[in-house]
Amino acid sequence: MKKTHIVVLVLVAVAVCIIVTMFSDFSTYETFASASKQPGKAFHVIGYLDKSMAMDYDPVKDPNHFTFYAKDKSGGVTKVIFNGEKPRDIEKSEQIVMKGYVEGGAFHCTGIQMKCPSKYKQRDMTVSGNAS
Amino acid sequence: MDTQFVGEHLWPGKLGHLFVISTFVGALFSAFSYWRAVQTEKTDAYNSHSWQLMGRNGFVLHAASIIGIFFALYYIIANHLFEYHYAWQHSSLALRSKYLLSCFWEGSEGSFMLWTLWNSILGLVVMSTAKLLETRTMAIISLVQAILATMLLGFYFGPDVKVGSTPFMLLREQMQGAPIFSSPNYMDFIKDGNGLNPLLQNYWMVIHPPVLFLGFATTLMPFAYCVAALWKGEYESFVKPTIRWSLFSGAVLGTGIMMGGAWAYESLNFGGYWAWDPVENASLVPWLTLVAGLHTLLVYKATKRSLIVTFILLLLTYLLVWYSTFLTRTGVLGKTSVHAFTGEGSALYWHLLIVLGVLLVLSIAAMTARWKQLPRIKTEEATSSREFWMFIGSIVLLLSAVQISITTSIPVWSPLVKWISGKDVAPPVDVMSHYNNIQVWVAIIIAMLSATILYLKFKQTGWATVLKRWGITGGIALVMAGLVGYAQKITTWQYDLLLFSTCFAIVANIYYAIAIQKAKLKQLGPSVAHLGFAMLLLGILISSYNKEVMSLNTLGVTFDLSKDDKMKAAKENRENVLLFRDMPVAMGEYTATFRGDSTSPSDPRTFFKVDYERVDTASKAVKERFRLYPDAFVNTKERNLISSPATKHYWNKDVFTYVNSYQMGGEEKFKDYTVHQGDSIFLGTGYLVFKGFNKEVNNPAYKPEEGDVAVTADLAYFDLKGVKGMLRPVYYIHDKFDNQIEDTLKSSGVTARLQKILPEQNAALIQVKQESGKNDYVVLKALLFPYINLVWLGVIVMVIGFFISLRNRLSY
Repeated sequence: MKKTHIVVLVLVAVAVCIIVTMFSDFSTYETFASASKQPGKAFHVIGYLDKSMAMDYDPVKDPNHFTFYAKDKSGGVTKVIFNGEKPRDIEKSEQIVMKGYVEGGAFHCTGIQMKCPSKYKQRDMTVSGNAS
Repeated sequence: MDTQFVGEHLWPGKLGHLFVISTFVGALFSAFSYWRAVQTEKTDAYNSHSWQLMGRNGFVLHAASIIGIFFALYYIIANHLFEYHYAWQHSSLALRSKYLLSCFWEGSEGSFMLWTLWNSILGLVVMSTAKLLETRTMAIISLVQAILATMLLGFYFGPDVKVGSTPFMLLREQMQGAPIFSSPNYMDFIKDGNGLNPLLQNYWMVIHPPVLFLGFATTLMPFAYCVAALWKGEYESFVKPTIRWSLFSGAVLGTGIMMGGAWAYESLNFGGYWAWDPVENASLVPWLTLVAGLHTLLVYKATKRSLIVTFILLLLTYLLVWYSTFLTRTGVLGKTSVHAFTGEGSALYWHLLIVLGVLLVLSIAAMTARWKQLPRIKTEEATSSREFWMFIGSIVLLLSAVQISITTSIPVWSPLVKWISGKDVAPPVDVMSHYNNIQVWVAIIIAMLSATILYLKFKQTGWATVLKRWGITGGIALVMAGLVGYAQKITTWQYDLLLFSTCFAIVANIYYAIAIQKAKLKQLGPSVAHLGFAMLLLGILISSYNKEVMSLNTLGVTFDLSKDDKMKAAKENRENVLLFRDMPVAMGEYTATFRGDSTSPSDPRTFFKVDYERVDTASKAVKERFRLYPDAFVNTKERNLISSPATKHYWNKDVFTYVNSYQMGGEEKFKDYTVHQGDSIFLGTGYLVFKGFNKEVNNPAYKPEEGDVAVTADLAYFDLKGVKGMLRPVYYIHDKFDNQIEDTLKSSGVTARLQKILPEQNAALIQVKQESGKNDYVVLKALLFPYINLVWLGVIVMVIGFFISLRNRLSY
């Protein structure tokens, strides 16, 4: 066997190891209910803004505190707390992807991404995660 | 049923349609002719030459037509012919003329047209320079062009199958059945278009897409030459032109990608130039494989080794360019990407998959057909040889590309995983650290290799001089890394390692250029390119490691938190800060003050004035003062805004500010607050604390009478510095009627009224108002990027290095 082959094999082996460990980094899409089984662990939840419930953002009180209610795909409604500004156009969003964890009955959100219908096109928007 | 519509301009569209068809037919004809020219090459030279001439004519017709499409579409957009769907959707009357070109790349039709246009221009260059390889390379290029042209066809096969999408579609055709189009004079009602996405109304967006598309187009040339070489079974003549095209491609694609970074930095609110967003990754990955392929090709040129891996890398690069188009244009990325791309629906999805399949089959067929006869060298390369380590570096780049691709492609492969295991895989929660933790090792290895390899020789190297030179440069680099690491307080060991390796690469490449190449410009290409790359890495390291959120909000949190949550809340970056008009707030070493907004009739944006001041802590003297104008497109109806940052540039840092939310011209109105003793009421410039009820009423406006019940609410007013005064509004019952006497704190413009007492809750209903102007505020984020200019400088130096190499290789 050539030296090059050995080195390439070693590199590939290392890469495979890295890629395997990298899979543990990957998150999953959950519902509020399934996410609440592991409180404090971060997941992705896809849901919709529940317009029947109040949104709260008062920058005078706290510019980094925005709460709203979201309904997930299985219909569960949960209060969502986002440590950041209210994302623009959230009222118009038709879908929200939320990153965060459940704790104390509320979903603590570290990042929001919305799908907004524009008349003839869709636009995605993200609000960067404010929690690390 | 034939309605005669009034006020339409149909001829540019008809001309455009004609060009679309002739561009497709021309490319197809050219591909066929060139293919015939190759077939008859050996048997009938005269015939072959005729076919070649026809191929050329076909390609010229194709190129002319695509230029025709460009001008027809430009005419439509520039003249605001909103009867065309493309103009209506992507432009408006108010659009400033410098952004007219940006309309081309907002829609996918315009983007494909631009891509085809660049390909055809580069194709003309190949046609006139490829000589003996012309027939084969041009057959491939024409084939790709024919494929690209199908993207613009907009033909229907039956009611459901649509191939491509033409930019010359009329509005009434696009939206058939809409009632407005039943009136012949519908044009009288369509006064204005939808307009261009405000995010694209930025000068970077005028130049970034065409450069990026030029970069995409350039990757076709190495692909075409590789296929041509395999087709011909001759592996010599393709080397020089492929190196040239790969150098050009590396320079242009690299520039295009980093221009995207500059755009993100200057106009998006990511807080950075690189967010590992899928769309960014999709353009980075082909660049990595291209650069890897360029290096193995250089190895092949010098030593006849690494031919197979070169073919694989360069063919893969082009496939990855199409894969990136697939990812970004079809909406597959959907819920994982930030970028505003249109999902064109399933037609484009299958169309692009078919194109990818065709190119993949073509590549694999070319490789397998020649696999057995591809020249290989049996002997081993020496460990001290340059080719050995260049090969290793290329493999590392490829593996890096593989890692980025796997994570980026999660939405592509996750349905399969879900089908097998039921797990719905999502991207990592913290995408940035996911990539950074892995790619930092790639950066370390590549920087180390680019510091050391140049000192090695092809085939065999004498160790003594090399070790001496490594020792000298490594020693200088160690001192440099120590100084930078100490000054920048870089304490994470992986990043210290990266710091050393980038310093090593910088020192080694400068030393090599001066001491060994004697600064002869002709040969400087590689060392300059590697120097630039190392500077880029160092810039990325320092600017992101020490990125500082200046607007970190440390004020008390007003919602309930249990103890554990407080720990967590302390960790959370509370990155927004609220600035009331004329109220200075400390931010990093600056104090920031919001001074109101300004608009101008010629600009649709609102500019927010934010003053920054830096005060010397000892002498209290103002050392520096400047004003930033972060701006936003404000939608007054819905009170939302699309903001873009303003940046103060220093040579060694950037102060970066943008507005997230605002309130202007708050009216003077009483607002109701129900408070218990000890509660606070937050106002524009401060807050009131309800101290409790007080039966001693000393208000001169109140004259006590028999039978009255009178009480005051004691309200202490605080601003950020402390107590400013007391307000004691009076509530009294006289003759069974309740009355209120307001109290005003003149200095702060606060007026309070005790509207009602709620005995059952032991609370008071208090109404407060504050003079207008004092309630205006902005919510903003401010970031500090140290040494960001090193990033841009690194890119520029690297690109210059590519071009020096290119010039050197052209002059041979």
